[in-house]
Amino acid sequence: MKIFKKWVKQNVNSSSKNIGDSEVKMISKSLSENLVNLYALFKDTPDLIVRHLEIKKGNKQAVLIYLSSLIDKDLIHEHILYPLINNDNDTEMHSQSVTIGKVESSSTWKDVELNIFQGKSILLIDGQTEVMILDTPGWPQRSIEDPQLETSLKGAHIGFGETSDRNIALIRRYIPNRQLKITEMVVGERSKSKVSILYLEDVANPELLQELKNRIEQIHVDFILNAGELEQFIEDSPYSPFPQFISTERPDAAASHIFQGRMIVMVDGASAVLVTPVTLISFFQNVDDYGLRLLSSNFIRMLRMVSFFIAILLPSLYISLISFNYELIPIKILLNIGKYRSEVPFPPFIEALIMEISLEMLREAGVRLPAPIGQTVGIVGAIVIGQAAVQAGIVSNMMIIVVSSTAIASFIIPNYDMSAAIRLLRFPMMIIASWFGIVGIVIGLMTIIGHIISLESLGTPYASPFAPIRFPEWKDTFVRFPLWKMTKRPSGARPIQVKRQRTNGFRRDEK
Amino acid sequence: MRNYIGNEITLMQYIFLIHGIQVGAGVLQLPRIMAEKVGMNGWIPLICGWLLSSAASLIIIQIMKKNPQSTLMDLMTTYFGKFIGKISSILLIIYFSIVSFTLIQKSILFIQVWLLPGIPSYIIMFLFSVPTYIIARNGIRIISRYAELVFFLMLWMPLFYIVALNQNHHWVHLLPLFKNIQQGLMATGSTIVSFLGFEVAFLFYPFLKEKKAASLGIIIANSLSLLVFLFVTISCFLFFSPDEITQYYEPTLSMLKVVEFRFIERMEIIFLAFYLFILSTTWIPYMYSMAFCTKWLFNKGNAKNYLLLSLIFFIVIMYFVVPTFPGNDLLSEFYEKIGVIFFYVFPVFLLIYSFIYYRIRGRITK
Repeated sequence: MKIFKKWVKQNVNSSSKNIGDSEVKMISKSLSENLVNLYALFKDTPDLIVRHLEIKKGNKQAVLIYLSSLIDKDLIHEHILYPLINNDNDTEMHSQSVTIGKVESSSTWKDVELNIFQGKSILLIDGQTEVMILDTPGWPQRSIEDPQLETSLKGAHIGFGETSDRNIALIRRYIPNRQLKITEMVVGERSKSKVSILYLEDVANPELLQELKNRIEQIHVDFILNAGELEQFIEDSPYSPFPQFISTERPDAAASHIFQGRMIVMVDGASAVLVTPVTLISFFQNVDDYGLRLLSSNFIRMLRMVSFFIAILLPSLYISLISFNYELIPIKILLNIGKYRSEVPFPPFIEALIMEISLEMLREAGVRLPAPIGQTVGIVGAIVIGQAAVQAGIVSNMMIIVVSSTAIASFIIPNYDMSAAIRLLRFPMMIIASWFGIVGIVIGLMTIIGHIISLESLGTPYASPFAPIRFPEWKDTFVRFPLWKMTKRPSGARPIQVKRQRTNGFRRDEK
Repeated sequence: MRNYIGNEITLMQYIFLIHGIQVGAGVLQLPRIMAEKVGMNGWIPLICGWLLSSAASLIIIQIMKKNPQSTLMDLMTTYFGKFIGKISSILLIIYFSIVSFTLIQKSILFIQVWLLPGIPSYIIMFLFSVPTYIIARNGIRIISRYAELVFFLMLWMPLFYIVALNQNHHWVHLLPLFKNIQQGLMATGSTIVSFLGFEVAFLFYPFLKEKKAASLGIIIANSLSLLVFLFVTISCFLFFSPDEITQYYEPTLSMLKVVEFRFIERMEIIFLAFYLFILSTTWIPYMYSMAFCTKWLFNKGNAKNYLLLSLIFFIVIMYFVVPTFPGNDLLSEFYEKIGVIFFYVFPVFLLIYSFIYYRIRGRITK
């Protein structure tokens, strides 16, 4: 073990050495020396453009450097090159003649390197030890589309893209408030992914924010590609089946979480953002709920709760009733089930396992395949799982009903991670039910409940408001109260400003 | 003095923690025991037991009030020195291990008789130890949250009794109301042990957030338990005739046999299966108390390791010594005797001692 640790340490050291070459070097006064340094840094980089130019004012030699693949060419041609070459303003400041919004300066090669890769262009001027960093991003990106994983019914049909600047813009559109703060960090030794935390300063709990920052700062990895990878580095219990962050692609959902006092973690390059801290119940809430009419949205909410239990329990209940506690079922129904089951050679557990696994395979195949072939999978699956399996005597009719209603129930849960967790939990429940019947199910439930109670999301109780019980917050759990009754933010995220609205509208007079 | 801050429980959690410990396997047999001892006047000893237990719990709170940041073991150390403190923790470990073992064994026996006849008890013990470990390893805070949640999750259970009573009840069974008061008072000894469970206040008082309401909380917990006991006992008395009730070993369950629906029968089996939740709130806090005291004794290590060890130990014992009802009854009698001495009699002396202690010390410091 010790040897292994040593070996890891050595490797980490050597890899950081490779990366850290350019870190200490400063920009020199001589342009030619700088160019030598530059070519040493960027060897074999054909898309690096080095444009020599002569600034009209003062006749200075200068070089503009950028990666042609990451910048907006029009911007560079019209707003940097043209004014620099032609302009004869009286000013000594070259940043004045460049007609670009964001201009920074720096004097280290480290910054130059980092910024070049972020789609910025660098202006090196002869005789100056400071370079100008010009904001000219223009990499290929997707246009704004409907979110893929979460379809919106009545909410906005807009989804996050892969550029965090634009994603922040989408959130700002919903939160035009100066209390919306953004903390930026860089994660990944090589990938240098920009991670931004968005929160309302006067609402979000500063302790939790600090905790989140600490956790992100402590990540030392080569690369972070998407939010899901970041999530695994900062979550409280990585071995739990339950997700401890909500990942969403919808800016309106993200904004609604920010308004509730939660924080958003955004990874540049990922189209999903992470919401933290969350509670179990927030996986069953959907932004659309609040926009739908009160009664219908409550009906849907309850449907989700019921389907949560169906998805976990139904197959195991069926197994235990058929193979273990058959004394619970009246004889008439038992005979009816027995009629169908008599042709099936397998015990109920194996029967259920066959069906569940083939269903999961169908689902996974349908997800991974391109849409046109995906439909074929659906048809094949319907034939295989449906009539043919029954006629062949592999499974009984009852099992088909059980498995398919379980599958449907598990798809009702709006969050992908949560519904995956529930589908996973079904299998241990089935095993324990086949061994111990209804006692096994109860013990399984007890374990799941105990596990959920002991989970934490960023140090806040995951099962709030059920454990610890906070009755006033049940307004937004199994049922959703009218919007004007929910005057307080949920305390799961421990917001420092609890009250969010007055009892609103003309109804105030009714009291 | 050790620090117990940072793991606080609310008043409601504290109430349901104690209530959860008090209501457990005993309820299943309580109506029969009452009927055997005092006939249909079983409610008299229950109320007397409640009075006594409330008095005892108030005394405990009075003792704890003087040193709000210390458990019983810390208290014994302050009053009598390190050695007695250690002895007290060893005694508590023994008590808690016997209690939790007995309670788990009793639950296993019930489960075996009613639900899993063919399965050896050590396997059921293994089955139980999974949720026990998952819940209890996180400390008192999670355990109290669990107890609180279970109370609210299981609120539908009394409905079964109402359905059963709907089919058959005779108020006349209760009459005459005051038939044998003397006998009733005599039987109080067997009811005060049903209220055992308030003694965890000795350990977990320092964790309570609202210490001012501690006395009120413990009385509420006792009263809730009294309500449950009374409800169960009286519904059994209404349902069964005085002679019939003594023939059932667990009348509380047998009574539910009449509840049937078109699509499901034998509701008492489902009832008992879900009753496991309530049973678990008795043994989980006790198991944790044991681990807590062990950790206190050695003053190092992690409580969850001791918990795991004791769970494994229980499984091994159950493997070699097959549990039986008579054996379990012997164990129960044993721990009940210890419990009465420790937590009904001893606190009185401790309270008197603490009065004297502070009187003398107050004089010295003056």
